Amino acid sequence: MKQYLAIIAMDIKLALRLRAVIFFNYLFPLFFFFGFATFLGRSDRIGGMVYVVTMSITFGVLGSGFFGAGIRAIQERELGILRRYKVTPITPLPLLVGSMVTGWIIFIPYIVLMLLMAHFIYQMPMPAHMFQLLVFISLGLIAFRSLGLVIASVANTMQEGTILVQLCYFPMIFLSGATIPEEVFKGVIKILHNFMPATYLVRGMRNMMLHGQGLLEKENLAAAGVMILTILGGGLISMKLFRWEKEEKIRGRAKLWVLVVLLPFIVLGALQWLHNK
Amino acid sequence: MNTQPVIAVQSLKKTYDKVEAVKGIDFQVAEGEVFGLLGPNGAGKTSTIEILEGLRPRTGGNATVLGFDPDRQKQQLKDRIGVCLQATNLPAKMRVQEALELFGSFYTRSISSEQLLKRLQLWEKRAAFYETLSGGQKQRLALALALVNDPQLLFLDEPTTGLDPQIRLEIHGLIEEMKSEKRTVVLTTHYIEEAERLCDRVAIIDEGKIVAMGTPRELQQQSKGQSRIDIICGQPMNAATLPQWPDAVESKLSEDGKSLTVHSSRPARTLFEIMKWLDQQGMQLEDVHLKRPTLEDVFVELTGKRLRD
Ligand SMILES: Nc1ncnc2c1ncn2[C@@H]1O[C@H](COP(=O)(O)OP(=O)(O)OP(=O)(O)O)[C@@H](O)[C@H]1O
Ligand SMILES: [Mg+2]
Repeated sequence: MKQYLAIIAMDIKLALRLRAVIFFNYLFPLFFFFGFATFLGRSDRIGGMVYVVTMSITFGVLGSGFFGAGIRAIQERELGILRRYKVTPITPLPLLVGSMVTGWIIFIPYIVLMLLMAHFIYQMPMPAHMFQLLVFISLGLIAFRSLGLVIASVANTMQEGTILVQLCYFPMIFLSGATIPEEVFKGVIKILHNFMPATYLVRGMRNMMLHGQGLLEKENLAAAGVMILTILGGGLISMKLFRWEKEEKIRGRAKLWVLVVLLPFIVLGALQWLHNK
Repeated sequence: MNTQPVIAVQSLKKTYDKVEAVKGIDFQVAEGEVFGLLGPNGAGKTSTIEILEGLRPRTGGNATVLGFDPDRQKQQLKDRIGVCLQATNLPAKMRVQEALELFGSFYTRSISSEQLLKRLQLWEKRAAFYETLSGGQKQRLALALALVNDPQLLFLDEPTTGLDPQIRLEIHGLIEEMKSEKRTVVLTTHYIEEAERLCDRVAIIDEGKIVAMGTPRELQQQSKGQSRIDIICGQPMNAATLPQWPDAVESKLSEDGKSLTVHSSRPARTLFEIMKWLDQQGMQLEDVHLKRPTLEDVFVELTGKRLRD
């Protein structure tokens, strides 16, 4: 326990000392928030502000997961920092748990701040089930950090890691409905949309903020369940494939484990697709 | 007194894909001993030492460290040893004292960061970020981290490579301190002076094999090379009267006759005879040098290479 607390406390201090972390976690999503809020927030559609808030949160979650957890883990391995930890009696578990918890602690105040600003500056109604919404967003955040860590554990080099991250990040930004509204998706794009893990985060948040739904509504519960599976699956796989040194390479076949983590989302996408048909 | 060796290694092998880095080596390290692995780049020093630290799996042979099998009892072993890696890093924005406290929390027992900071002369730097430390300070921090669990056994992989001579001496002092505290130390190096100065016993390792092992003195005595005696006198010596010294292999007088060089396999005896002769001749002795064969000479004889390129 002592080591978990020490790692989390250190991780938080380190994160707050890095300008890049502050920028990508707070300033960048805030910039979007205010930018879009000025355009859409005052429009008569009540959904305008919810749209802006969910977009900013999704940017934050994806950035925290893929860059904050994934890329950073690769960096620590490549710089020989993890080697120093390898010498000690700890297992990868406290490091992985530490990464998830730290990400959450840094992120949650930002979410609360954004919701409050949306409410008080732009008159967005407060979500009916605030606590449940925060739980849902937390699950999303930890699930995406888990995905980030899986990417880190299957990428042999920073270059590979960056490619994988971009392959996940950009489609999710554009096809999850976070930026481009899902109503405009047709055909193949709509099918792809339903296979994006971020889609379920965006949809769940909008259900809860726009329609006053709670976490126990069928669709939201399914999304939450899938995120929990991702957290557990991602955690197990990152543990199993964890490498302390960049000299240890992973075999090509082991990379297929990424698909295993995505499996719950693939099933969800397939169900949605069948349902639409 | 515990007579069990702290480390016992039998026919240890390590192969990476195709590279045979360690080709079956045997050695033991006794409690309280400073044991050195001396060898050129790529000899297999790091591979050997990291197998013993539980960091890399061995390909063959046996190893016991503090009674543990480093492959199967990694956690227990790591909890008890101190390690200074050849290549490592800490997060740029981690402060010196934070690093000691963080790493201390990973062990079942640890000593206070304050005590370590003072001992390793890092007290003034305790709030400095890792990225701002000099090479010597980073190395002192690495040693402090190795001591954080108060280990009885330390592994130091090239603890002074790439440091200034001044800082190297400082690190030597710290290693001598560890020795005086009765800790067992295994260190690797490619500096002869380091091995000679610090180690009770040295294994010379080359291309994955131990080519010689013993105390520095024993190794020097194994050398076929002879000691060299240089004599300088106030007035010229007469070449015609020079006797054949016992055990001397070769003697040579300089042109001005004032300096004499003698190679001998038993320098103490030869030197004694030379002194006696000079006295009989009524010569005035100005200077004497005795140079024994160094570990470097031994190394070159055994491997046909020099240690440093
Ligand atoms: N992770 C690895 N993968 C493949 N080959 C390796 C690996 N580590 C070491 N080797 C090879 O094994 C041999 C021994 O390397 P090792 O690092 O043990 O030598 P060393 O004596 O510590 O050298 P140095 O003085 O340069 O540190 C070298 O040929 C090296 O290239
Ligand atoms: Mg080495």
